[in-house]
Amino acid sequence: MRNYLLRHAQVFFYSLGQLARSPFASLMTIAVIGVALALPSGLYVLIDNVQRVSGGIDSSARISVFLKKSVNDSHAEHWTERVRKIPGVAKAEYIPPKEALAEFKRLSGFGSAIDTLDNPLPGVVLVTPVLADADAEALTALVERLKKSSEVDIVQLDFEWVQRLNALLEITRRAATLLAVVLAASVLLIIGNTIRLAVYNRRDEIEVIKLIGGTGAFIRRPFLYSGALQGLFGALAAWLLIQLSLSVVAGPVADLALLYGSDFRVKGLDFRAAVALLATGALLGWLGSRLAVGRHLSEIEPS
Amino acid sequence: MIRFDRVSKRYESGHDALMQVSFDIADEEMVFLTGHSGAGKSTLLKLIALIERPTRGSILVNDRNTAKIGRFRVPYYRREIGIVFQNNRLLMDRTVFDNVALPLVVSGCEHRELGRRVRAALDKVGLLKKERDYPITLSGGEQQRVGIARAVVNKPPLLVADEPTGNLDDTLSTEIMDLLADFNHHGVTVLIATHDLRQVQRLGRRVLELHNGQLDYDGAPAP
Ligand SMILES: Nc1ncnc2c1ncn2[C@@H]1O[C@H](COP(=O)(O)OP(=O)(O)OP(=O)(O)O)[C@@H](O)[C@H]1O
Ligand SMILES: [Mg+2]
Repeated sequence: MRNYLLRHAQVFFYSLGQLARSPFASLMTIAVIGVALALPSGLYVLIDNVQRVSGGIDSSARISVFLKKSVNDSHAEHWTERVRKIPGVAKAEYIPPKEALAEFKRLSGFGSAIDTLDNPLPGVVLVTPVLADADAEALTALVERLKKSSEVDIVQLDFEWVQRLNALLEITRRAATLLAVVLAASVLLIIGNTIRLAVYNRRDEIEVIKLIGGTGAFIRRPFLYSGALQGLFGALAAWLLIQLSLSVVAGPVADLALLYGSDFRVKGLDFRAAVALLATGALLGWLGSRLAVGRHLSEIEPS
Repeated sequence: MIRFDRVSKRYESGHDALMQVSFDIADEEMVFLTGHSGAGKSTLLKLIALIERPTRGSILVNDRNTAKIGRFRVPYYRREIGIVFQNNRLLMDRTVFDNVALPLVVSGCEHRELGRRVRAALDKVGLLKKERDYPITLSGGEQQRVGIARAVVNKPPLLVADEPTGNLDDTLSTEIMDLLADFNHHGVTVLIATHDLRQVQRLGRRVLELHNGQLDYDGAPAP
């Protein structure tokens, strides 16, 4: 067992040495793999961050219900009481037309100019949904229910754009998944190609090893290590690329968030995501190498 | 050690390289395989090393029917045969030591045992001092001796050599042949394909002569 581990360690360092012997070619391969892995990973990081922003807004989603002009204050108060009892409603607050006008005067600065007019504003009920139910479907159902009420004129979901954003994010997420699959395949091809070249360059050595009784597993081993190492280093390059890009935008984003009174910070890859990225890189490298070696080693037979 | 029973080999090109060849080689024997160019000497050795498979007939090596050795067992079978090539087939980017160590590395030999065995093999061929050199810096004769050290480092019971002196002058050829005869003296069965009739005469061992793929002569070297 110790002997077995020792042999693997030897092959590991041998493969590392082989990569170091042609640093330019190795770096090129690693850079290409790095970019290929950084694209989908970066997109996921972006989606994650946008979602955290919109998540903060989602929790404050509110529904404005504009009542018909014919509904008087006491009727409206009564109706609001009934709305409070609807499951999924956390809060419902009635704002009479008078108060609405007062607030409008304060905010608009028109002041007494408006006093001469008849109050044009309807009564409004502000409905706050329960947080846990604040997903798009429950929200829409609630809106539909409120609309059916005979007292109601218009129902406005203040944050419809959150829904649109979420839909957009969902599309982006699927695109990222698709991109990840395509780019994973290209990583397989890139590694497969470098390994194919490596096999070809060492065909004499492979023939000799076959002649002196080297098994297929023995011959494959250094190529598999080499592929896995290149994949791993490629993933490391991808990680660096993402962290570097994020550190470039982190400052401006924090400044922007401050303007909106938010302490939002850009979040990079956490430890688990980083480990997953590295493992994916190594695994793709190993797989690409395995596929290439399996095909090309059998073509090399001593003669 | 080796038994050929009506062995024929037809290459895919349709060429009959060997036809109905039968012979026996006993344990610890030393035999020369001769014949004109294209007679089928290399083909015969390739059949023993399972580089090629016979079209017809059976080959027993070390009491084992080689036809029954599957693709995945071939590496283990080859570890029991030392092979010496005309162009030595050394790995030029590795030291003499690493070249000779290769068969032991391949079979997973323990580290300390490996160093001991490699040095013993290099000592036998008189190249102990060159273990750190690269093959490219050695003379043709020295390179061939490294190839022989690599073939015997595993202590195989059978050694086959295809024109081991093909590129060497008389003095070096004598040296190499004496080295192979010495291994035979220590109990290794040796089969050598060669054109070098002078060496065949000098050593006076049994000769198998091929002519156009057929076994033409089996006996002592013709005077
Ligand atoms: N892979 C092959 N495919 C087709 N024909 C082959 C192949 N290898 C050898 N031959 C043919 O088989 C015949 C015997 O070849 P072989 O190499 O065994 O001869 P040899 O006795 O070793 O000759 P030499 O002394 O020149 O090495 C030759 O005519 C050769 O052209
Ligand atoms: Mg030949």
